[in-house]
Amino acid sequence: MTTPSALNGLRVLDLSTYRAHLCARLLADMGADVIKVEPPAGDAGRRIGPFYNDLPHHDRSLWFWFYNLNKRSLTLDITHPRGRELLLALARSADIVIESFAPGEIASMGLGWEQLHRINPALILLSIAPFGQTGPYRDFVADDTVITALAGMLYVNGSPGRPPVRPLGLQAYHSSSYYGAIAAMTAVLARDVTGEGNWIDLSMQEATHSAVEHVSGSYFAQGQIEPRRGTLHWSRFFRVGKCRDGYIMHCTLGDWTSLIEWVNGDGKAQDLVDAKWNDVLYRAQNAEHLFDVLDEWVKDYDRDELLERAQLLRQPYAIVRRPEALFDDEQLEERGFFAEVEHPELGRSVLYPGAPYLFNGTPWRAYRRPPLLGEHTGEILREELQIDPNEIAALRAEGVI
Amino acid sequence: MLSARPLPLNGVRVLDFTWVVAGPVATRILADQGAEVVKVERKVPPQIGDRKRGLLCELHRDKLSVAINMSHPEGVELARKLARKSDLVMDNFSARVMKAWGMDYASLAQIKPDIICISMSGLGHTGPRASYVSYGPTLQALGGYTHLMAEATEEPAGYGYSYADMAGGYTGALAALIALYHKRRTGQGQFVDLSQFEAVVSVVGPALLDIAVNDREQAPPQYNSQEGPAAPHGVYRCAPLDKDDDRWIAISVRTQGEWERFVNAIGAPPWTSDAKFQTLYLRTKNHTELDTHLARWTRERSAEDAMMILQRAKIAAGVVSNGADICARDPQLKERGYWASVTRADGEQSRVVGIPFKMSDTPASVRSIAPDVGEHTDYVLGELLGLTRAERDALIASGAVWS
Repeated sequence: MTTPSALNGLRVLDLSTYRAHLCARLLADMGADVIKVEPPAGDAGRRIGPFYNDLPHHDRSLWFWFYNLNKRSLTLDITHPRGRELLLALARSADIVIESFAPGEIASMGLGWEQLHRINPALILLSIAPFGQTGPYRDFVADDTVITALAGMLYVNGSPGRPPVRPLGLQAYHSSSYYGAIAAMTAVLARDVTGEGNWIDLSMQEATHSAVEHVSGSYFAQGQIEPRRGTLHWSRFFRVGKCRDGYIMHCTLGDWTSLIEWVNGDGKAQDLVDAKWNDVLYRAQNAEHLFDVLDEWVKDYDRDELLERAQLLRQPYAIVRRPEALFDDEQLEERGFFAEVEHPELGRSVLYPGAPYLFNGTPWRAYRRPPLLGEHTGEILREELQIDPNEIAALRAEGVI
Repeated sequence: MLSARPLPLNGVRVLDFTWVVAGPVATRILADQGAEVVKVERKVPPQIGDRKRGLLCELHRDKLSVAINMSHPEGVELARKLARKSDLVMDNFSARVMKAWGMDYASLAQIKPDIICISMSGLGHTGPRASYVSYGPTLQALGGYTHLMAEATEEPAGYGYSYADMAGGYTGALAALIALYHKRRTGQGQFVDLSQFEAVVSVVGPALLDIAVNDREQAPPQYNSQEGPAAPHGVYRCAPLDKDDDRWIAISVRTQGEWERFVNAIGAPPWTSDAKFQTLYLRTKNHTELDTHLARWTRERSAEDAMMILQRAKIAAGVVSNGADICARDPQLKERGYWASVTRADGEQSRVVGIPFKMSDTPASVRSIAPDVGEHTDYVLGELLGLTRAERDALIASGAVWS
């Protein structure tokens, strides 16, 4: 018996541009049938590096691989009248359409909410745009950097008196894609009750802002504009420190008594032995001095030694690691985090970052490697739309597929 | 505001044992969409600060609170009864906590076979580091994020916030929705072992494949683009706003067409025709000099004016917004009604972040302020569990429930 998939039977048409590719992948990973609809020249994401062995090729973009695992590829020119008809035919039996064109663009192609809702009232249309479908910035253009700027995420990163620093991990795109998948699944569950689809208007600016913990809360509750604080976390319970062989993350939310016994045993506690430091709020208020003393303490330790002893005492310390270290991480390995995916054309397999969660009944899976350009065009047109081979050949000659 | 349409998750009940940030983010997302989220908490929760405004209000709004003493056998019995009336039980403890209470999936599945349990621990329930204690900022340190938040010197420059908590929270909410979908179709519940660490590592992005495939050591991204080359690309200092000289604009120029529009938009100063800036390759190669020229242009105008000039030419540009920009000035968020308000006991309003997506047929809205601890004890014990007033008083007297 094969292992069941949670989203088995859910059909998603992924028209999204490269800025929202993660969204449909999150659904594909849990078993949804995601058909990626690409222009015949290929999705723009196929031209973004890094590339396999650094050789640019539309089937070897690691960017594209990361975001398109488990999807099928249909090349279709949806601006062509017949291409549009074929897309509408697919939409009749789809559950979700995901698009991230400029607001109004799919409507101008005759594929907007009104058209889609008319042919399939149960269909869910998820529109992801930098600033949403309405408002004075609706037609503004933006990439990940600009969205993090206008979302209030960029300003708080970096050191005081220095320019804001950009985070790793395309956080505007990823936060928006996560919210997109959440919104789409919420609409699917709502449809169980109402029988109706929803048009979801998702603003990447809003989704990205909501991924910043504290900026609006501080402003609304205290009227405070959160500054850049270097590595001191806004809560004032965390700061980066430096051991003999590299950086660690301090945390003063663990059991204070055992931490200070340890530091004092090393003869480095200075004034931290005073009882007033038992108060967690006092520790936050005086974080700069506290971390200065702890920095003096850790500087003669090796990081691994410090981490092991800290965790034995249940102190939430961590090493500031390079991302390369993730591939040697015993915890990730033991839990099978990295998934080996066969790429037969390359004669090898590739380790993909895997499940963000372990479902015991319907596990996350790497069903298929990312699709080659147009790999499933024939099978989808033949088997799902019953288009006859002669027409397929004609469409191919005309450049529609 | 009441809507005639049902909320999307009406009828779904979540028994919520989560605390700190990541877990409450997950259950807050479900609560906003109409799930009945019953927060089980201690009378003196280890939370710091005011739940009626700011972040803590944002984390716990739209939820109910019951104060059950899980160190008391009758408290545990109550929680198990509540689990029987719930679709989901969510926590973010390490493995041993729920097990010790008999509230883990194996135990609850015996009394409610279709229960969904989602445990959002720091590093997962299995593996050599399952017992590690962690918080969002320590998980992003382990995951490579902290190391790569750096300027050219590679000295850590510092995160302003805990992305790991948010990534963990979104992942938890999505897991809940996916598990619910499966349950509605098959009648089957399941256990989701969510490691917040794995959740945040899984969104490092294509850089992980660059390590896996090309064996390339990753440098701090700074304004080297993570989405194809761009130049100009970065933040540029603008004119002060009143006395605030920490004003910046973010600008990204990629294609040749964008470069041409950009040059026209800034009035084609002589440096833009320099041979060393005529192709994307050259602009990337000579970006330090390019940035110096551009910074002179931005410095002469406000971030808002610079943004409008560039956006009119369809160039990606945006104010590097601070708290006041985003909460008080940004016209887009105001016009879309992104911010929400909840009413405090004194009748005043607390402003909170809204819901970042709008649905046409079943729109949700932020409905109620974060509860006091134990505020809904009567509803939960009386209406949900059908206990009489005398039975409730007995539980309070025995210390199983805090009034």
